[in-house]
Amino acid sequence: MIDPAWVSALSALLFVIGLGGAFTRKNAIIVLMCIELMLNAANMQFAAAAVHHGDATGWIYTIFAIAIAASEVAIGLAIFLAMYGKHESISLDDVDVLRN
Amino acid sequence: MASSSNVILDSDMVQYAPLIILLPMLAFPVILFLGRVFNKNPFWKNTLKEGGLIALPVMAASLIISLLLINDHIGGFAGIKDSMNLLWVNTAVWDGGALEPVTLGFGIYIDHVTVMLLFVASFLCLLINIFSVGYMNTDPINDNRNHRFYAEFVLFCSGMLGMVLADSFLWLFIFWEIMGLCSYLLIGFYYERPSAAYAAKKAFLTTRIGDVFLVIGLVMMWDIFGSLDYDVIFNAVEDKEFMAGVSSSTLQWALGMMFIGAVGKSAQFPLHVWLPDAMEGPTPVSALIHAATMVNAGLYLVARMFPFFGAEALSGDLVDLAFIIALIGGITAVMAAAIAFVQNDLKKVLAYSTMSQLAYIFTGLGCAMYLANTLDWHNDSESHYIVVVAFGAALFHLFNHAMAKGMLFMASGSVIHEVHHAHHHLHHHDDHGEGEHDDHHDDDFDAQSMENMGGLASKMPLTATAMLVGSASIMGLPLIGGFWSKEGIIANAWRVAQDDPRFLLPAMCVLIGAGMTGFYMSRMWLKTFAGKPNNEVAAHVGPTNTWIKIPLFTLTFVTLSAIIFAGMGFTHWAPDSEYAFMSEKGLVEGIVYEMEHAFANSDSFFFILTYVAIAIGAVLGPGIAMSLYGGNLAEGEKAKPWMKPVIRLNAWVYSRFNFNNSSIAESGLTRALEQRLYIDYYYDMAMLKIVAAFSKKSAEADSAVIDGTIKSIERGSQSLSSIVRSLTTGSARDYILMISVGTLAIFFFLWGVA
Repeated sequence: MIDPAWVSALSALLFVIGLGGAFTRKNAIIVLMCIELMLNAANMQFAAAAVHHGDATGWIYTIFAIAIAASEVAIGLAIFLAMYGKHESISLDDVDVLRN
Repeated sequence: MASSSNVILDSDMVQYAPLIILLPMLAFPVILFLGRVFNKNPFWKNTLKEGGLIALPVMAASLIISLLLINDHIGGFAGIKDSMNLLWVNTAVWDGGALEPVTLGFGIYIDHVTVMLLFVASFLCLLINIFSVGYMNTDPINDNRNHRFYAEFVLFCSGMLGMVLADSFLWLFIFWEIMGLCSYLLIGFYYERPSAAYAAKKAFLTTRIGDVFLVIGLVMMWDIFGSLDYDVIFNAVEDKEFMAGVSSSTLQWALGMMFIGAVGKSAQFPLHVWLPDAMEGPTPVSALIHAATMVNAGLYLVARMFPFFGAEALSGDLVDLAFIIALIGGITAVMAAAIAFVQNDLKKVLAYSTMSQLAYIFTGLGCAMYLANTLDWHNDSESHYIVVVAFGAALFHLFNHAMAKGMLFMASGSVIHEVHHAHHHLHHHDDHGEGEHDDHHDDDFDAQSMENMGGLASKMPLTATAMLVGSASIMGLPLIGGFWSKEGIIANAWRVAQDDPRFLLPAMCVLIGAGMTGFYMSRMWLKTFAGKPNNEVAAHVGPTNTWIKIPLFTLTFVTLSAIIFAGMGFTHWAPDSEYAFMSEKGLVEGIVYEMEHAFANSDSFFFILTYVAIAIGAVLGPGIAMSLYGGNLAEGEKAKPWMKPVIRLNAWVYSRFNFNNSSIAESGLTRALEQRLYIDYYYDMAMLKIVAAFSKKSAEADSAVIDGTIKSIERGSQSLSSIVRSLTTGSARDYILMISVGTLAIFFFLWGVA
């Protein structure tokens, strides 16, 4: 059995990678993938904590988070399609309607 | 107060009393609404007289209920009071400690003062309504908007009747303001004419000055007595234990504040400036304001204060206020009469005459209150008699003046109406009835100016008779209406002056004023009705219509029969009177008594005074007027037999004693009088200098301080927001970064706290 501390460390690493990607990348699909990465990092942390505490709550949270992530991807991709229809691009630099 | 005077009668009629107020009040929206809907409809216009014949039965019903109510309260009973309370609102008043329950209710309060004013108001309102149908509906200028006149008219009447019947100072004030509003609306009836709009505004604002003081007075009253109900206050005033804890000077101030309200409403110096301008309204409105309602309201308020002056606990404490009331009256009586000397506008003479006669009533009330306040009238029957007669004389003058002035205004309206029509007939054969001309002021022809009249006695016999009787009553020619009351007021003013030398001034004023009244009223009648027609128009005036004749005839009869009223009037209309001649002595004895006291007073001082007053009021004043104005009628014109002696006498005096008055007519004093003693001018100047300057300064302060503060806040937040705005790039990644940084910051903050 791997020490949950290592799993936590991996989860933190994955999260930072996801966050960095979300900050820096232009392509909306990559940003979405980075967000998924962060979610999965969180899931991993849940699992690690569940093992550490011997409590099933963490597992259940993980299942919920995966379900939410799945629906989020569906919605996110639909948004990108709509965005492409409108702007002919899915580069985040081209989308600043919040300002203008 | 005598114990018998507090009897509360269980009269059946009193439960119908609210109808007197409610009927006209309900007619107000009805006429206004129907007039809006059916405007220009021939049935509405010709058969219903644009609402005039809806108002008429309503006013008649009010009068009938009033008469039944009066019938229940006059005669057999000594000291009548009746009251009824319709509970209205139960509320509570915060007085620093616990919440105190208070009932604000509407009730009916009836005593002698109420009874007399109720009769005056409801009777004259009905007559003026009849007159209005003949006056308003026959003038094309008023077509299609008479419903507005009738609607405001009934509301005005409702206000007056409500004020008279109400059982508390609070309700008095509410109805008082309804009248203020209606006077504004009616004076400004021809609102398209700037002078009418100005006059309406002036009337409203001038009376408002008085009203502010009235409210202050009422608040002080509430503070002293904890209630504004007549019953509560008048019982408290009689309660010596309670009054021991009340500062009489505070009470005097409260009453003085209320008196200023009355001064504004009754157009006394220095708040008189609105009344002459109020002539801009249609003539029925002048009659309504001057005879039946508005100006009597102030007198009613002062008469309502009588129990304070009569209270034993306040004996001698309110003398100063009584003096001020009499003094204001005395000054106004002489001043208004002097201005009336030089007026050429028929209605303006009457307006100043109203002011002067109201001033007489104020002087009479002031003297009665002085007597009530100084004499031990509760226990001494002779003093009681003096007080009751003094108070009764003032109120009786109110009655006589209202009847005579209502008649005079309606008669003047009839003259103006016919002169105007004659003018039209002569000069506008083609366009008669076209709506382009102004009411009575078209193409520089002033139908109200006495310069355009003269010699009308033979052409308008009933109008001339009514005017003659009315003038005689106002002048106080012996045996006619106003004589009885005016003699009473003059005698009482001198009675008080013997006791308190300060009162010599008002006493002199009312005595001189009697002669001045004789002059200006005679001048008015002679210039209008005697002599030869001044121009072609006056020569073509015809008799008036039936609607106008009815009220003129009725009031002529009432004024002439005032000899009968005199018997009971003097003594019967005072509150708590124990002298009810109608029941105690009978009519004839009452009249004989009055005659003896007027002409054969046993006290030599009053005996001489009576004859001096008659000499200057009924001989000297009219004599000078006769020598200056009038003369014989034109050849072939015949006056009615009862007017012939007057015109013959006039012609004789005119030919015998005529003198050239041009040196007087061109003197500075005459100029000043023509300019109304410059009082209006100074008020306007004061407004310009003080109020306008203050307004300018406060406008500057407003833009610098208040606007400045708000604007600098606005500018600050604008520049701040432009900095904040640069953070919102619109790029989703920047927002994610900010969210992350924010989350981290919160995390470390919470960690640090933990």
